[in-house]
Amino acid sequence: MSEWPDPALDYVQAITDTKLVLGHRYAQWSLTGPSLEDDIGGASAAQEEVGHVRQLFRLLEDQGRDSDWLDGHRDPEEVNNVASLDSIDGEWPEYLATIATADRAAWYLLDAIDHEDFGGMVTKMGEDEYFHLEYHDARLESLAEKETEVIQSTLEETLPQALAFIGPAEHDAESDPLYGAGFTDRPVAEIRESYLRHFEDLFEGTSVSLENVDRSAPDLEAWNETRRRVNGGSIPEADLVQIRGDSNELYVMD
Amino acid sequence: MTRHYEVFARINQGDETLHIGNVQADSDRLAKLYAHNTFDEEDWDFLAVVRREDVLEVDVDQEVLSPA
Repeated sequence: MSEWPDPALDYVQAITDTKLVLGHRYAQWSLTGPSLEDDIGGASAAQEEVGHVRQLFRLLEDQGRDSDWLDGHRDPEEVNNVASLDSIDGEWPEYLATIATADRAAWYLLDAIDHEDFGGMVTKMGEDEYFHLEYHDARLESLAEKETEVIQSTLEETLPQALAFIGPAEHDAESDPLYGAGFTDRPVAEIRESYLRHFEDLFEGTSVSLENVDRSAPDLEAWNETRRRVNGGSIPEADLVQIRGDSNELYVMD
Repeated sequence: MTRHYEVFARINQGDETLHIGNVQADSDRLAKLYAHNTFDEEDWDFLAVVRREDVLEVDVDQEVLSPA
């Protein structure tokens, strides 16, 4: 364990909180898939995301974060997940286009970390994430033809929120504080380019157009660095109650 | 278009490759992911999907043809 540069704590907290909420959303939707195979994929991803959270919590505790606070004993506005995961309205295609963009954004930020505390752990998480992201892409490819309008309109909403989570385009090699401190091996501007290029390539030749996606998000002036979003918002208190497992407190093992 | 796929696997290199089940999927890419997620009870050395229509059955009970 070593000390991290100042903005790194918020950066890792946001990745961890996104995985925490992702695990919850995967679990909530995992029995609603169009096939049992989709349900199994969702349940498996939920389990893996919660496993990643457990490991990341330990690193955050080592950096001084309180374990109860990490476990969810905090205000919903202190949970710094990708904004699109605050709530998912609609049906399964909307869910898929929301988690696909959020999961990939969190993975790109995690993969960019170049620090001794993360080495082997991130490699292992990457093995899990390969199957999450490959599954999302395979599913988005098929839904692009069957549910074109829903996928396109959902992406127009969720991609800018994911870009806000990744960070502002202004954070390039000269100005990205974490890249400057050597905590990450590529600046936010480069991560954004890779991220957008991926979805452009994925939907090239399909009926889904990304022409109306706001690629400039977030506005640097409005961007909250800690929450990695603009315009506030949070998961509902009820979700935090479930994440904490309040109703099962009786069964906690000390 | 949804297709049926047969799933084959072996645990160790050199083992026999066995038929372990099937999945239905909209694409080959998705079929591979479904197979990976659904049949994850072993640390497979090899896991593969084959479109059902590409499995060519060998007729093992063919009788010897008599000369006409």
